[in-house]
Amino acid sequence: MTTSAPEPLLALSGVNTFYGQAQVHFDLSITVARGHIVCLLGGNASGKSTTMKIILGLVKPRSGEVSFDGASLVGLSTPQIVRRGIASVPEARRLFADMSVRENILMGAFVRNDRDAVAQDLDRMLTLFPKLGQRLSQRAGSLSGGEQQMVAMARALMSRPRMIVMDEPTMGLSPLYVDRVLELIRTINQEGVSVFMVEQNASLALEIAHEAYVLQTGKIVLSGPARALKDDPRVRDAYLGGSEAA
Amino acid sequence: MSSWLDYTINGLIVGNVYALVAVGLALIFGVSRLINFAQGSIYLVGAYIGWVAVVQLHTPLPLTIIVVAATAAVVGLIIERFGLRPLQNSVRIAPLLATIGISFVLDQLVMLTFSPNPRALPSQLPDVRFQLGGGTIGPLDLLIAGVGISSALLLFVFLRYSKLGWAVRAASQDRDAAMQMGVDVNRVNQAVFGIAAALGGVSGMLVGMYYNQIDTAMSLQATLKGVVAEVVGGAGNVPGAVIGSLLLGLVESYGVAVFGTSYRNLFAFLLLVVVLVLRPNGLFASARQAPPEPLTGTFIAPSRPVRIPRWVLAVAAAGFAVLPLFPVSFYVLQTLINAWLLGMLALSLTLVAGTMGQVSLGHAALLAIGAYTSALLSLTLNVPVGLAVIGGGLVSAALGTLLISPSFRLRGHYVSIATLAIGEIVSLVILNWESVTRGPIGISGIPPLSLFGYDLISPSSVYWFSLAVMVVLALLQGRLLTSHLGRSFRAIRDDDIAARAYGLSLNRYKSLAFIFGGFAAGVSGGIAAHLYSYINHETFNTQQSILALTVVILGGLGNVVGAIVGSVALVGLPEVFRIAAEYRILIYGIVLLLLVRFRPQGLLGTI
Repeated sequence: MTTSAPEPLLALSGVNTFYGQAQVHFDLSITVARGHIVCLLGGNASGKSTTMKIILGLVKPRSGEVSFDGASLVGLSTPQIVRRGIASVPEARRLFADMSVRENILMGAFVRNDRDAVAQDLDRMLTLFPKLGQRLSQRAGSLSGGEQQMVAMARALMSRPRMIVMDEPTMGLSPLYVDRVLELIRTINQEGVSVFMVEQNASLALEIAHEAYVLQTGKIVLSGPARALKDDPRVRDAYLGGSEAA
Repeated sequence: MSSWLDYTINGLIVGNVYALVAVGLALIFGVSRLINFAQGSIYLVGAYIGWVAVVQLHTPLPLTIIVVAATAAVVGLIIERFGLRPLQNSVRIAPLLATIGISFVLDQLVMLTFSPNPRALPSQLPDVRFQLGGGTIGPLDLLIAGVGISSALLLFVFLRYSKLGWAVRAASQDRDAAMQMGVDVNRVNQAVFGIAAALGGVSGMLVGMYYNQIDTAMSLQATLKGVVAEVVGGAGNVPGAVIGSLLLGLVESYGVAVFGTSYRNLFAFLLLVVVLVLRPNGLFASARQAPPEPLTGTFIAPSRPVRIPRWVLAVAAAGFAVLPLFPVSFYVLQTLINAWLLGMLALSLTLVAGTMGQVSLGHAALLAIGAYTSALLSLTLNVPVGLAVIGGGLVSAALGTLLISPSFRLRGHYVSIATLAIGEIVSLVILNWESVTRGPIGISGIPPLSLFGYDLISPSSVYWFSLAVMVVLALLQGRLLTSHLGRSFRAIRDDDIAARAYGLSLNRYKSLAFIFGGFAAGVSGGIAAHLYSYINHETFNTQQSILALTVVILGGLGNVVGAIVGSVALVGLPEVFRIAAEYRILIYGIVLLLLVRFRPQGLLGTI
């Protein structure tokens, strides 16, 4: 369904997920083309966050296939998946609150062993996120929500990932920071990192995404190029009514 | 004989020893949110490995330390790999119970290998004392201080500068996020258990040398002291654990200076209860720190209880009631009397822990209160024994609930720690309050059971009496569970915040549960006192609390019939198979471990 993408970087196909008796995903199939931003839209309890967890190996699907760069991720542990080149910006940031900002950012490079290049990347993050420069030795827990989001994104980039998955990156941020975050996602993407993001704020997400999927109670009900979905009356009704005004 | 400086030095040295245990506990709590009750057993293993090295292998001191640290670390790794890792996705209380089971198994293995008799552990250091101000200090003091300080420094460097150390810190702050950075949490757990065990083992060895004596009772004491120090410093807080340990060492040492040796532990546990009540997150926790994760709601393994038709229960009760009419041996009746007494305690605990969700580790204290009350009422005030037993139940209900009430505001693991401490306090008060309890001498010559003036001396009359009391208590409790009150109890257990939002007063319901439970346990203790005719402060000990907990889990938490079935099984089966007494605790430990791992809902299912 993706426009004219070559071999996808990430592909979920026929994924069925259960929490106990309750089925969360029904035959879920999603692809992320190399170099693209793909957005998964959906309301509460639609199974969005679980999709993130499936990709990261935090939740195991009962059936279906998840592959990254042509190789299956099924059965791999989360650290193994991270080493394959997928970084994450978890929901609500999830920083290491008692560690300093510098330590948090460097934790992102945990899977790397090239110390000098890591040091260079840290400098690069400070040019990308100039505000963090003065905060490096501060406790991460003492930052504002927007600043924490910057740290979480810098942390994710430190592993030099091929793809970043983000869970509601704009949630709980002030409007100023929302724009900043979207801008940064675009920048990151232009540097060649594919992005898969889960969002509730459809209008904003569709601004920057190439493709989008709409998830409703565990089923994909709509998918296609972001531009097309933006004008789709069904998306408009379900997700964009009024949120444009906010 | 000693100056204040001596007491200070002693307090700091002992504090250093506690720190070695507490730091390990703090590391493990940080990463796994688990209070490792097996830490004291590793300390015990360390002490005995030290003994083997010094006395049998004649190793020089540095080598002794290395051997002890390495062996203890291996034990720690084994515990992590085979005892705890399989429980990763289990209910939150499961690992805690598993470490209790592991500690029973390890302690008994040490006891079976080395016999329970104390042994001397020479320190290999010259026995000289240096004058220091008004006090003295010896080479061993310096060694302990040196080991304590250098361990703390090494640990600091490890956590601050090594990659694995960073992983430990990250995992202890947010396990899932650490995994998403590529941290292998299993490796972190291994590292933490290895380090904690090495430190704990060395600590045990040093203490053995300090007192020149080791015995198997060291284990529980070490766990308790380590837990006190760790909680005082703030669970999971490594520097806090060090400071908490030194503070504990000083408080104990000054307490001993003023009041005498038998008060040492009393001060430790009072410090714990005061800290838990006033600052449950420890002395140094910042306000922002999240409150301890509630165990409620995730505590009981979901299960469908086994339905037993009433007529089966009636037939079983009738069968047991007519048993003494048949030619059964005294031995069988005696065993079943013990089962009925344990059954009453288990009824009490299954209500408090299962129905109410407050996992008490100090339930034997309720037995002790009931036993002492009943014994003293009948001996000193000449109250008829039947009334005295009821009095024991009432006092146990009132006093037990009052004593445990400081823990009502706590949740999860903290309830277990607080009740454990309160249980120890009761035993220590009994030991020290000589004018009433006759202190270490205990109470002897307690009159036998009697009812309306008739002495119950024959085994069958005692059997009928205890069976009848237990059945009445069980019927009452069964009634309670189906009532509105029982539903409220379970509501609080499953989600205390939601229950509060519906207007349930937690304190009132927790009190009611402990009043009912305290009565049942107190009656059990009272009957036991008149059966034994002699009791002292050690008659009802922590081992009994843990046995009761094993019974309750075996039967199915909250399950009334399960509590009785569990009691008969755990008291009866070792008798049937003629298992020697010293192997029994080992078997209880293994049963607990297997249950937690394979059937957390127990035989009959949780309710």
